[in-house]
Amino acid sequence: MMKRIAIAALAVVSLSACARLNMDSSQLDSARKAVADAKAAGAERCAPKLQAEAVSSLYWAAHEVTEFGVHPDETASLIKTAQDNANAARRACMAKPAMKEVIKLKDVYFAHASAKLSHTSDATLTRAVALLKRRANIDVEIAAYTDSNGSDAYNLALSDRRAASVRDYLVSHGINASRLTSKGYGKMHPVATNATKEGRAKNRRVALRVMN
Amino acid sequence: MRFIFIIMALLAFALPAQAALFSTIDSRGDKISAELKGNNSYHAYLARDLTSIASSEYDEGDASAARVFINKAEAEAAKARGTK
Repeated sequence: MMKRIAIAALAVVSLSACARLNMDSSQLDSARKAVADAKAAGAERCAPKLQAEAVSSLYWAAHEVTEFGVHPDETASLIKTAQDNANAARRACMAKPAMKEVIKLKDVYFAHASAKLSHTSDATLTRAVALLKRRANIDVEIAAYTDSNGSDAYNLALSDRRAASVRDYLVSHGINASRLTSKGYGKMHPVATNATKEGRAKNRRVALRVMN
Repeated sequence: MRFIFIIMALLAFALPAQAALFSTIDSRGDKISAELKGNNSYHAYLARDLTSIASSEYDEGDASAARVFINKAEAEAAKARGTK
């Protein structure tokens, strides 16, 4: 009798270690593909939270399918969560190309409320041209930002024109246009407070965002 | 003799999986959370999500599944340490 009890107890202890994940289950095909597609689109870098939620849901579903119909609704819900999050992560990456490096361009100035470059910007822009010639393998987005004075629409349009103005300068100084895009971000992403003159001056800026 | 052999064999299979019995799922999860505070990399998010799943499984009485997930969480946390 004691012998049987001992064997049964040890068997329980042994079997309790048998929980596993069945990642190869055909039930997970769609979610697995969605996660793989998102990963290929760079989701681990550009949408890490969504991709992690997708992968953890996939793992959890891979565990639930080993329980053979114990929680069918839960399994279906986890598969859907994995798929939805992975698709959202992939879309996020497609909408926002992965950016690898930001090169700040100090001292790029424009005439007030205009996209006309000031002559005091020449030294910085000359260095930017040299840098882009030296690093001929990089493509960049020229990003321009404003301070918070004025409406969103006004600042967005002004920053758009200023970014395009810098792009035109770089192209006119020998940088291949196919390597350059320009985008205005308006008052978005401030780097300093807009409550002070110094802060607003810091927020009015131009940067090169390396995209490859 | 056969009885002793069976006991030893079962113990040999069981022990590796039970090795972490003395460290609770919660304490291992707390350690992961503390280590990854402020880390917003993919591996850190995944480690935290897997820790949460481990806790859920443990609360539902599936200790072995909880251990599988906390082990995976610790593996992801180790990857995350280099990606802060």
